[in-house]
Order: sequence, then C-alpha cells, then structure tokens
Amino acid sequence: MNDRLKSLYKTQILTYAKDSTHEGELPNATHSLAAYNPMCGDKYTVYLVVKQQTVIEAKFKGYGCAISKASTAILVEKITGEPLSEVASLVALFLKIINADAEQQPEELTSDDALLAFAATREFPERKKCASLSWEVLEDIKI
Amino acid sequence: MINPDTIRAQFPIFNQKTPNGLPLIYLDNAATTQKPQFVIDAISGFYSGYNSNVGRGTYWPATKATDSFEAVRLKVKEFINAPSLKEVIFNSGTTDGINKVMQSCLLPILKAGDEVIVTEMEHHSNFLPWQRACELKGAHLRTVPLQESGDLDYKAFEEVLSSKVKFVAVTAVSNALGVVNDVAKITQLAHAVGAKVLIDAAQLLTHKKIDVQQLDCDFLAFSAHKLYGPTGVGVLYGKEELLEAMIPMSYGGGIVETVTLANTTFNGLPNKHEAGTPNIAGVIGLGAAIDFVKEHGLEQMHKHTQALCEHAIDKLKSISGIDVLGTPEERAALISITVDNAHPHDVAAFLGEKGIAIRAGHHCAQPLMDSLQVPATSRLSFAVYNTFEEVDQALTALIEVRDFFA
Repeated sequence: MNDRLKSLYKTQILTYAKDSTHEGELPNATHSLAAYNPMCGDKYTVYLVVKQQTVIEAKFKGYGCAISKASTAILVEKITGEPLSEVASLVALFLKIINADAEQQPEELTSDDALLAFAATREFPERKKCASLSWEVLEDIKI
Repeated sequence: MINPDTIRAQFPIFNQKTPNGLPLIYLDNAATTQKPQFVIDAISGFYSGYNSNVGRGTYWPATKATDSFEAVRLKVKEFINAPSLKEVIFNSGTTDGINKVMQSCLLPILKAGDEVIVTEMEHHSNFLPWQRACELKGAHLRTVPLQESGDLDYKAFEEVLSSKVKFVAVTAVSNALGVVNDVAKITQLAHAVGAKVLIDAAQLLTHKKIDVQQLDCDFLAFSAHKLYGPTGVGVLYGKEELLEAMIPMSYGGGIVETVTLANTTFNGLPNKHEAGTPNIAGVIGLGAAIDFVKEHGLEQMHKHTQALCEHAIDKLKSISGIDVLGTPEERAALISITVDNAHPHDVAAFLGEKGIAIRAGHHCAQPLMDSLQVPATSRLSFAVYNTFEEVDQALTALIEVRDFFA
C-alpha cells in the first residue's frame, strides 16, 4: 500500500470502523438525525439524548465505507457528554480539518489524533463527503 | 483472435500514466468505454474539416456534413438490422430515448388502472420514467423480481402479464449484475397481451449483434459511448408505424413541413422526432465507432471480453472472502463482487491508488441492491483493450484489500 493510502486509512480510522461500541439505537432519543449520501448509498442515523442543553447519550446505526463509519463513530464518541455549544464548535472544527481550502493546516487546528486522522481526506477530495456526512447533519440542525 | 496489445495501442488514453505514475488499468467499461484514435479523429475531422449544420444547407461543407451524418443513419440501420432508415432516431443517449418514448408513446394512451411492467434489475434510467408516467396517470408500475441466480423470474413475469399491461420496459443486460435477459421471449409474451415493448440496449451493444427484427421489439435505445463512441449521442429505434403515430418527441426546428400562425404540419420520419440541431460530431463519432467494431469484429471482441470475465470468475472461485454476485445462465462481460468486511468504496479507493479503475456503488440500480440486500457492490467490467495480466493485477489488489480490512 502506498503512503497516501496509509495516511487515509490510519490505524485509528480502521479501529473505529471495526469497533461497534458506539453502534445501536436509543429508544429514549430526543433526536434521531438521518445522514444519507445518495451518490454512494452510505446511510446513518445518529441518535441523541439531549437534556439541559447537553448531549447525555449518543449512538448511531447504519452502513457505509470505512471512512464514513469511523467518522460517525468518532462523532458520537466526541459529542457524548458535551454541552450543545461545544458540539457546535467541534463540528465546525472537524469540517475545517478536512477542508482542503482551509487556511490553517490540520495540526494548527487541533492536537486530537482521532480528529487529525481524517486530515488525509484533504488529499482525496472524492472522499471528503465520506468524512463529513454525519457531522454535517449536526451542523444543519438547531437543537 | 483479438490481440489486446495492438488494439490497446489505438486508444491514446493508455499512453498516459495515472497521477501516481502508474499505467491505467481501466475496468469500468460498463460505465463508459475508452475511445480509439479513429473515433477521436472522426470527431475532430468534422469540426476542422467540414463543420456546418445538417439538413437544409445547399453549399459545401453543409452538403458534406449532411451526407456524412445521414451515412451514419445507414450504418446504424445495418448495425441493428432495422428495416428502414425512418426508424433510426438520433438523440442524446439511452436515457433520452427512454424518456421520449414514455412521453410521446405511453403518456398519451396510459389511463388510470393500466399497468406498466419493469424489472427489479433496471438502471434508474429505465425505471424512473415509467414510475413517473404511472404517477401522472394513476397507473400501476409492476416490477418483475429475480431468481436466486440473478436471472429474471420469467414465471413471475408471465404472472403479471394481463390485458391491463400497456407497456413493458426491460433491459437486455443488467448493468449491475451482468445478467443477460431473454428479451425476444419477453417481447413475444408482452405482445401476446397487446403491450408495447422497449428494450434498454445500453449494455447489449458489445455483448451480441443486435437484430431488432429478430427481437421484434417496438423500441430499442442505446448510447454511443458504451461502444467506443462519444458521450452525448445515442439512438432510438422504433417501429415505423409507432413512430409515425406518435406526437413529436420534442418541438423545434427541422421537424416541420409548413408552419403558419394557425397550424403546423410535421415532417416525415425520422426528422419529425429530431427537433433542433443534432449532435452532428457525436453522430459522426458513432459512425466511426461502428466502423471500428466492424473492423475488429463484434464476435471476436466479445469472445475476448468473455474470456477475461470467465478468467476472473474462475480465479475468484478459489479466493475466499470475495464473492461474485449472481450465477446467471448468460452473463455479459461484467461482474459485481463483494469483499468481506470492506465497503465497495474502500475497495475502489484502494484499487484506484494502484491505477485500477473499477466502479463502486449502487450502479444506479437501487431497487436491485434492495432486492440483493446489499447496500452497494464493486463492479469490474471488461473491454477489448483489457488483458489477462490486468485482470490478474486487479485480483491481486482485491486480495490485498480483503486482507487489509480483515
């Protein structure tokens, strides 16, 4: 495998893609958000339990490529326990990390390895949507 | 026998390397084929040598453009064995042809309670137009399921046939599975209940010689770009009496005899259905593509691509964790596969980095993916310039992907 690919499928991404810790439905979810890419068929539902402006619990269900699955798993992990204001900043940060047109380098934006693992999608514009799919639905909603 | 190396040399895209500096192994031929220099030259030859509009011009180069354009109509007529030149309509491609038949042939006669039949293996382009027609008129869209093998369930097809059925639209070859349908039989059964039949021949062109008289279909649509020709141009064949009875497929220049403020009388076939300036360069490119195929022999080309496909299937049988979908009685030169634990997009991304172009996704056939209960597949489709070595390299790469995601 070449280095470009190695950086795209960093160990972290593969680990998260194969790990089912964050998968499942939340029957008591206050929000269930659908993330769907009609171009490729990747489809996730992100379930949130939001109480007092804080994400108490989060899970996801669905299928898609390793990149989209890992990014959804990391999203769920990162926002659990966070106040909504922090969720919004996290989403904005993540979208910047994967944005090839962003002024700052990914390493200048964060030192979080899990998030930085997706920086390689800057070099694979056709895979950017895979990384951003689930994060974008959180950006769109007003919780 | 086809020598893929000498044929390959005629396709200039293979002189280039991919951005990673690798030779291009192009296995996405069901999406579109590459173009030989001969076709490219014919297109640029028109623009640089005798560009002008076709139809009315009385000067050179308009006369040459018109002659060349109409000569392609004759080539197409022979290519599909149509009885008459009037039955060959040029358009922008398969999708265009299907939509126009829906609008001009079906919509005017379709009533609430009528039925239209398609199959579960249709490309969206041969599904959505009929779904829309049924929505508009309160008619019912019936879909014929597949057997376990991927072959069409012909028994189920016979069961949905009735006098309510006005139209049957079916693909000759599944773009996602490679299954070849017995469209002659389907046509015969549909005609027995008085239904009209359209065949989506997009994937049939390189598989076998098309003979519309033998098929007895009412309409048949295809695109030039699946036959080593240019994009944006295609052909609709229709039986003369049907094309004659139909309202024009679109309205504009070139389709009329006389126009007054009060009334318009339309031109005869085929011009009646070809409003506006056609894709002249595209049609000329299609003519060159037909010549290219004739020169090498459709049967010989098909033999080569079938051999590549069978080679891939044979080898995959002994490779665990990679499965070929479907075991149809007859298969065109394409396979859909799944790789254990690897999503098709990851598979395609891996192969892409190695200069191997394959297609991943639902192949514009979401109803089929639902029926197969897979979200997507990876597809390898073969053409005349592919080699056995290329197939082996693709299989080696697939094994690497399988192991990486294991």
